[in-house]
Amino acid sequence: MIDQHEFKARNHTSPTVSDSITINRLFLAWLRIGFTSFGGGAITQYLIQESFIYKHKWITAEEYANIIAMCQIAPGINIIAYTILIGKRLAGSLGIFVSLMGLILPSAAITIGISAIYTSISDVSRVQSSLRSVFAAIFGIALATNWRNARPIFVSNRKRGSLAFLATLGIMIGSAIIYIFLNPPVVVLYLLGGICGALIYWYVAKKDQED
Amino acid sequence: MDWIIFFWVVLKSILFSTGGFGPLPSLHADFIAHGWASEKQFTEALAIGQITPGPNGLWVVSLCYLVAGLPGAVLACIALLLPPLLILIVQRVHARIAHHPATQGLLDGVVLVIVSFSVIVLTGMFRSNGVDIGMVVIAVISAGLAITRCLSANTILVFAALVGLIVG
Repeated sequence: MIDQHEFKARNHTSPTVSDSITINRLFLAWLRIGFTSFGGGAITQYLIQESFIYKHKWITAEEYANIIAMCQIAPGINIIAYTILIGKRLAGSLGIFVSLMGLILPSAAITIGISAIYTSISDVSRVQSSLRSVFAAIFGIALATNWRNARPIFVSNRKRGSLAFLATLGIMIGSAIIYIFLNPPVVVLYLLGGICGALIYWYVAKKDQED
Repeated sequence: MDWIIFFWVVLKSILFSTGGFGPLPSLHADFIAHGWASEKQFTEALAIGQITPGPNGLWVVSLCYLVAGLPGAVLACIALLLPPLLILIVQRVHARIAHHPATQGLLDGVVLVIVSFSVIVLTGMFRSNGVDIGMVVIAVISAGLAITRCLSANTILVFAALVGLIVG
């Protein structure tokens, strides 16, 4: 069992005076976020920053920025990857475990609870109507989210040149056409899209170096 | 229900995607093909997942609860936690591969395909949810508010729920 002194030692790089870390405190910090982060990923990220950078000062804003950058190349939900790296940074393997449990247990329990309540009242017409409207809003928000995900790629590839820009359009439109008409396993198209992207960026970068 | 196949289908959808909505296209294709879920359960799970705390991706837990009860929800939680652990490997090699152009190209290529599929799948679900002028107005206003960041996603959802309650 790692003791409290070791956690303090691991935290020595923080430039400002930070709260001492214990496993209990770490777990409670994540538990609070898990219970109160209504509003999805953006709110969860905001609460992580509030708690770990500004309130407890356990990590610095620079460390957090590095963690975010690194998590862009990890599969799955980014915030769970942030949780893993922050937990590891603060308390090693045990830190990873308590951080994940603190974040996910309350969130998942509330999600299951609301799903259970929903199944028992799903026949009520007003509940159906309300959820239908919520889904319409989610559809709008999800379109905006997808636009925000794709936009930086389009912007940077327009700067990379016409080949990269056309390839960006080609990957999107081509994968959509293949998906609609041939319906292959989705994962195969993810891999194809990734390989196309890697080859094109590599080629463009090589060509820029030669020029 | 074959729990091993169920778990693999959920795990695979998360392993080969990123972000909260990322698993949607793969899960949608497999769950519909296996006859485990209906379009309606997808729209319900996505809605429930957005009004509960935690990362957006917890809608997967709601979906698995709706189609397979508590065991399904527990398996979904485990499947959500495992793929991000690969970040520990990524952390070791990050410094070496982060600036290689192929790395960024690989990520961008996958993101573009996910965006493309997500729009197709969400549009199909929106249509099966019952398209009328009210739903289109809610969707367009929500997209506008989300892009301009005039209101938080939470507030938009609360307004939408209230509109549904009052009108319904």
